[in-house]
Amino acid sequence: MTKKKTIRIVLWIFLIGLIAAFGSIYYVFNMPRRNVSGESAVYSLQAKQLISDFRNDETIATKKYLDQAIAVSGEIKSIRTLDNHSMVFSLEDAMEGVSCTVDSADVVKFSSKLSPVKIGAKATFKGRCSGMLMDIQVINCVPE
Amino acid sequence: MNKLILLVALSISFLTAGAQSLYLTKDAKINFNSSTPLEDIVAESNQATTILDIEKNIVKFSVLTTSFKFRRALMEEHFNENYMESSKFPKASFNGKIISPIDWKSEKTVSVDVKGTLTMHGANSEVTFKATITPGKEKISASAELKVTPEAFSIPIPSAVRDKIAREVTIKIDAVYAPYHQ
Repeated sequence: MTKKKTIRIVLWIFLIGLIAAFGSIYYVFNMPRRNVSGESAVYSLQAKQLISDFRNDETIATKKYLDQAIAVSGEIKSIRTLDNHSMVFSLEDAMEGVSCTVDSADVVKFSSKLSPVKIGAKATFKGRCSGMLMDIQVINCVPE
Repeated sequence: MNKLILLVALSISFLTAGAQSLYLTKDAKINFNSSTPLEDIVAESNQATTILDIEKNIVKFSVLTTSFKFRRALMEEHFNENYMESSKFPKASFNGKIISPIDWKSEKTVSVDVKGTLTMHGANSEVTFKATITPGKEKISASAELKVTPEAFSIPIPSAVRDKIAREVTIKIDAVYAPYHQ
């Protein structure tokens, strides 16, 4: 009798363990994308400051800002819509400024916040810094 | 005096000619496919910056590796953390030349050979590939396809997932350039 009971308990534990293991594998495999809009910015700064940091020493600036949630403010110099319906807002310089990309889903979600954002206006975007090419790129942005 | 004016005028026209030889886009599309029957692995970035000099036939590309989007967030994480080591090597770039003759004044689509150095994961590899270019005054369209191996860029693939990732990765590029005035 007690032997049967032990076997039963062991089987139950095994089963629960199995379900937990599959559950966590499933979760990790399908985990949601990192959502910067829910994070508070590690650095809040002016676009001009970010540009000068990257121009002074790209390696140091990349180490400091890469993959960090940052909030950047500045004057809008260009607005473009990409083929995948994401929008790119360039701050301070159309070519060599800070380019903030708002993903297509967020363009829809924040449309009321984005519609007053025009060339010449001041705006703040929070996103993830992905480094510098000609411009400094901030991706997965949301308007603040 | 007249000569001096002529010289100044000439140098100005040369300067403007030089400026017009550059074409640029910051929204070039790069996607790569390393799918196998076991796993679909495709990723795309819409934010490659590329510059084309139609006087010297030089073409340059660069893209930030964290701008690639995969089907699953987990794949993006593995791509950036384990394979590309994006925190150490945030960029991938290509510096090359169009080596076959091309008439930039015709607006006909042509196929050309491009040769150059592809740099990623901190390693360089010489590559030659075919590109299709449609010249134009206001815009130049270009697309290309090339195949690379992870080994050429010293990207280690653990044996546990070796069969899930294609031995040869196909990279596709699509760019529409506009004149770049500096």
